Amino acid sequence: MPDNDFLSALRALREGGVEFAVVGGLAAVLNGAPVNTFDLDIVPARDEENVARLLRVLDTLDAVYRMQPSRRLKPDASHLRSSGHHNLITNCGPLDVLGTIGSRLGYEDLLPHTIQMEIGGEVRVRVLNLETLVALKEELAGEKDLAVLPILRRTLEQKRRGTD
Amino acid sequence: MTETDPQPQTDYSEDGVDLTLIRWMLSLTPAERLQFLQRQVNAILAIRKLNAGQ
Repeated sequence: MPDNDFLSALRALREGGVEFAVVGGLAAVLNGAPVNTFDLDIVPARDEENVARLLRVLDTLDAVYRMQPSRRLKPDASHLRSSGHHNLITNCGPLDVLGTIGSRLGYEDLLPHTIQMEIGGEVRVRVLNLETLVALKEELAGEKDLAVLPILRRTLEQKRRGTD
Repeated sequence: MTETDPQPQTDYSEDGVDLTLIRWMLSLTPAERLQFLQRQVNAILAIRKLNAGQ
């Protein structure tokens, strides 16, 4: 299994000109929540040009579906233009490419709720803000979401106290 | 902290969340948070690998 290298994966996406937002556990960590995650979740723009750029980067990352990695099934443009979730394994670790999240929210819907963050090595990425992460977890209300919700809520509170 | 402090700082929230950890994370830059996560995750994966099959 490859080591997780979030920064290299994100750098590859940025250098490949892919438009995307970081969501999920990594977005929570980048927003300051002390949680753990093993995969990188992104929501990309699903227009034809961006999907083509994304496919080129996924190829350089040697991305295949991780359900049956031995079959080495690669995503194609029609997969990535859909609203579905693509759980991939890459040479930088697990990468989930999500067409939409929550109540079918795509990249354009999420864009106003993202912030640009410098994540090291002069790499800047769009990250879903903590308020929206909390709202999505509340809406999804799955076991995993409910488990992390108290930490996200308290992080949001502490953040607000710090900026008052 | 004084008696007039309107919001005294506590270490844990009412629902048991460690607020000291949150404050520490918030004191880091996003790049530092990512580095910390990266190191932590890879350390856990290395331990898992060492103990594979147990």
